[in-house]
Amino acid sequence: MPLPVTDNQPEDLRKWRLPRGRHGLPRELVERSQRERLLAAVVRVTVAKGYDSMTVADILGEAGVGRESFYELFDDKLDCMLAAHKLLIDDLEERVREVYVAEGPWPQRVREALSATLDWFAADPDVARFTVIELSTVGPAFRSTFQAEFARAITLVEAGMGEDGPEPELAQANALAVGAILARIYEQIVLGRAGELPSLLPDLTYELLVPFVGEDEARAAADGA
Amino acid sequence: MSVLQPTIPVDIGERSQRQRILDAMIDSCAEKTYAATTITDIVSRAHISRTTFYKHFDDKRACFDAAIGYGIEQLEEVAAAAHSPEEAPPNAAREAAAAVLQTLAARPGLAQLLTGDAIAVEPKVVECYRKATIPALEGLWSRAGEPIKAHTDPRVAFGQAQVLILNQIATGKADRLPELLPEIVYLAVSPYGGHEEALRQSRIAKEVPVGGAAPSD
Repeated sequence: MPLPVTDNQPEDLRKWRLPRGRHGLPRELVERSQRERLLAAVVRVTVAKGYDSMTVADILGEAGVGRESFYELFDDKLDCMLAAHKLLIDDLEERVREVYVAEGPWPQRVREALSATLDWFAADPDVARFTVIELSTVGPAFRSTFQAEFARAITLVEAGMGEDGPEPELAQANALAVGAILARIYEQIVLGRAGELPSLLPDLTYELLVPFVGEDEARAAADGA
Repeated sequence: MSVLQPTIPVDIGERSQRQRILDAMIDSCAEKTYAATTITDIVSRAHISRTTFYKHFDDKRACFDAAIGYGIEQLEEVAAAAHSPEEAPPNAAREAAAAVLQTLAARPGLAQLLTGDAIAVEPKVVECYRKATIPALEGLWSRAGEPIKAHTDPRVAFGQAQVLILNQIATGKADRLPELLPEIVYLAVSPYGGHEEALRQSRIAKEVPVGGAAPSD
């Protein structure tokens, strides 16, 4: 079931409230509905107000969920925010993995993985801002989360290398690749141009491939297909 | 000039206060990030009163901006001192990059401030120091009178370097920043020098111990 988080329309999440009273629905389902609304809400409120000024009450209001239910699901606003973050990154990784850890020549799959990534970030500017920029404002939890996700991204780059993968001279070429993607996406989001990210595909393909295969081959792969 | 001419500037007390505040901001960011840093943290680290803090800065953010400015200034000086003007641009870029990395390793708080916290506080901060870095790099090539050709986008290289350093800090390996030397040198050379030259410089950097060629003795 698609989560409201990835919905482009900023519709009223309270519309998704399950009927009150004795509906006989299993508790698990009710909790899931609340959780989904809270995660969607925390993304919106963080982007609108900033993490610092956001209160749990803001999230509750946006989600249409009661305070008690919130604390049954999350410890605090940080816990809720990190859960939303994880949900989104899991989703992104799944989409990239699908096209990248697959058959076909490596440079081609890099291009497809980048295309999936750029499309994902372009689909919802709020989600893009939330995942790339707002996380850095949460304090010490930012470092551990960043580090874990960066490591995950590097593992993913590695997972798709396959037999025809390059053997770059630089030990941290995979980290450079993740860094190139982050740098480009970060800049577009800051400029308020997340929607135009897909148009960067040729440039980013080139920039990502150069440390692995050199300029000529990278140019060919970026222009081709 | 007469030996009776006073030489101690009257604002020295004030300057060292300001300096202490900036250092306190940098150290606190290193320990708990900017977001978690409070004015109380800064005044207790700097051994000054709250009133003194507000005499120098309007708020936490103004102090942070000054700390960033101070950090960039330091890196610019280090980078400029690391090479002589006659040097070939790729060599100069390598030496400047190595010197900057060495400075950041000695001052992990500064590295944290310029990578993680700069992103957290406001993207404009990143923009401002990128504007200080990239023209300096480009200047190495234009001063040498060589035609400037961008092989890769220097803005991306800048972001990559930032991400790599941030990751090293987030992983708790701030003291091992020099391990990134081959990559940082590659990133400094590749935008204007090209991939092959960047790899060549990166190899040289691996052989020469960090700071080995720098006139630090």
